[in-house]
Amino acid sequence: MFLTPSKLLKIVFGLGLFVILCIGGFTYKHINSLSESTEVVKDTYNLRSELEYIISNLKDAELGHRGYLLTHDSIFLEPYEESAEKIKNNLSRLDTLIIKNKIQRQNLNQLELDIAKRFVIFNKSLDIAEDKIILSQELLLLLHDGKIKMDRIRNDISVMLVYENKLLVENQKKSEQALGLTPLFLYGILVLTLVLLLIAYAKINRDLTVLSETNEDLEIFKKLTEQAEVVSKSGTWIWYVDENTYHFSDNLYKLLGVEPNSFEPSLENLFGFIHEDDREGLGQEVNSMIKNEELPFVNYRIVQPDGTIKHFKAHAQLIDNGFEDKQLLGVTLDVTDEFDNFRLIEERNLELERNNKELSAFNYVASHDLQEPLRKIQTFISRIEAKELVNLSEKGQFYIEKIKSSSSRMRMLIEDLLQYSRTNNSKNDFKNVDINLLLEQAKQELLDSIEDKNAEIISSDLPTMEVVSFQIEQLFINLISNSLKYSREGVAPVIKIKHQEILSNDVEFLQKSLFKYHHKIIFKDNGIGFEQTYSKKIFDLFNRLHGKSEYSGTGIGLAICKKIVDNHQGVIIAEGNPGVGATFTIYLPFLK
Amino acid sequence: MNKEYINIALADDDEDDRFFFTEAFEDLKIKNRVSTFKDGIELMEFLEESSLLPDLLFLDLNMPKKSGIECLKEIKANSKFNEIIIAIYSTSSSEEDVENTFVLGANIYIKKPNDFEKLKKVLSEVVTTNWQYETSGLNKENFLLRL
Repeated sequence: MFLTPSKLLKIVFGLGLFVILCIGGFTYKHINSLSESTEVVKDTYNLRSELEYIISNLKDAELGHRGYLLTHDSIFLEPYEESAEKIKNNLSRLDTLIIKNKIQRQNLNQLELDIAKRFVIFNKSLDIAEDKIILSQELLLLLHDGKIKMDRIRNDISVMLVYENKLLVENQKKSEQALGLTPLFLYGILVLTLVLLLIAYAKINRDLTVLSETNEDLEIFKKLTEQAEVVSKSGTWIWYVDENTYHFSDNLYKLLGVEPNSFEPSLENLFGFIHEDDREGLGQEVNSMIKNEELPFVNYRIVQPDGTIKHFKAHAQLIDNGFEDKQLLGVTLDVTDEFDNFRLIEERNLELERNNKELSAFNYVASHDLQEPLRKIQTFISRIEAKELVNLSEKGQFYIEKIKSSSSRMRMLIEDLLQYSRTNNSKNDFKNVDINLLLEQAKQELLDSIEDKNAEIISSDLPTMEVVSFQIEQLFINLISNSLKYSREGVAPVIKIKHQEILSNDVEFLQKSLFKYHHKIIFKDNGIGFEQTYSKKIFDLFNRLHGKSEYSGTGIGLAICKKIVDNHQGVIIAEGNPGVGATFTIYLPFLK
Repeated sequence: MNKEYINIALADDDEDDRFFFTEAFEDLKIKNRVSTFKDGIELMEFLEESSLLPDLLFLDLNMPKKSGIECLKEIKANSKFNEIIIAIYSTSSSEEDVENTFVLGANIYIKKPNDFEKLKKVLSEVVTTNWQYETSGLNKENFLLRL
């Protein structure tokens, strides 16, 4: 099981507290037993001294007794009686001292008995002595008997003393045994407690370091967040669900156009800023936020104090970590720029759409309305040619011929222009096509002029590519017909078409391409060629390098080629060598 | 077509085109009857009322009142006109128009030629085509008439 730092700390402190309590208990118990054994020693001492007092008092009694026997002076009877009284007291004190011990009590009883017997003898001899001054035989016997009794008393006392000594020694041994371990034990426990406390201290210290580091990180993070809020034009807010209070970040206030903390953060105050048209909708969102404790993305407008309207976007999520109170963390973004840009793009899109519509309307006009009168002119000319030409003068016939060529040139122009304007990018038309097929179709289209010119087209195997097929076919048609048109007189045109895959990095002007690879398709002819200086110009609309009478052309064909290649994000390059031929190279990007 | 005459109808708002059209048929050595209409409404009224339907109908697309596309839709929606061969006869041959009329069920698309001889050639080609055979192999490739 994993213990959190605070849990571990609690356990260590609990243990320390327990150990200290134990030490207290042990110490109390040991001091108690120590004072008990001191009590025993004191009792023994008292007992000994009482016993010794008894001996000394008996001796005093004997001394008084003997003095009286010798002098019959009653002055000696005083100490004797005092001693008797004292012994009585001694015995009663002894009696209290040895309540507990059975053996000593027996000994004491014996002693009391013997002392009583001795005093009987004392009294007897004193009675006798009162009658006679001289020591009689009877008195001598009594004195003798008294000595024996005295010895017995001494013996009794020594027995008691020996026994008491024994008790004392035993007691001492016992208390020594008990007390001997106590200091070491206490010391050990103390050391253990100290170690525990030290560990706890180290732990606290380490935790504090970590805490301060975390705090530092948090501080940095807070600064970063503030900075990020400013840069991203966003603000953060917290809803403390249980207390129903709010916290707004400084930048949120700034986004509202006011100074930080210039009003109490609450829903009511915030709603004062909301655009009145958006209040109801946002109110519903907020109500569902309060109910569901979640806020999906909402868009609304606010009005800053100076009247500026800003577009906001907000989102919030509930953070429930189980320990702390529930908090809803929200982010509000100022999306005014985004909104404005979007509107601008939308406007431009509309404009583009309008332009496109106008263009297609123009296309329609060009294809129908412009062609119709022209077609009629041509048809009527053909009628005149068929039926009335013989009736015209030679000049009239010449004029008709001129009208005919002009009108057919006009038709060509219109058709090429239409072709050019139709060559627009239609994103959905990109399909994987076998380029060989497109080339074949282009050749079919130009079959007549190829045969007329006795031309030869040599092509290597072409790949399958993702292209707008009708446009690529048109590209091939235009390039081939261009070569056929500008062939050298008396030389049969030969067009060589080659293909290879190249790395974009290997070609200087393709290095910035987003595609790694390009298809390189080369069209090389043996026609009249052109000056290299015109290599860029020939792709311009209506640009012609030759007079109209020399070569028929509208100057649109190659412009269409360029437009098609542009549509395919490719590059077309022309290289010319006058009198030798022209080479057109097309680079079309692809992904592997 | 085992009839004595071929019944031909043309709907075209352009007077000159109607003129070329009839003149071309006069020149052709085919027995025919040509009726011309100057807009879609006139054409549709004729078709609804006539007991003798045309064998071949040439439809201009760009006409006032009712366009060629509208006429095509109406004709194709009426089973009475199932037998009529429909040729689109238009100035332009924009991809869009070709595609649309093909999908709507026209039989052939003719771009108006700019030469009278060509016109005669085109018309004779269309008239002499065996449509019963041709319609079975209908496809988009030869829908647009190329000469």
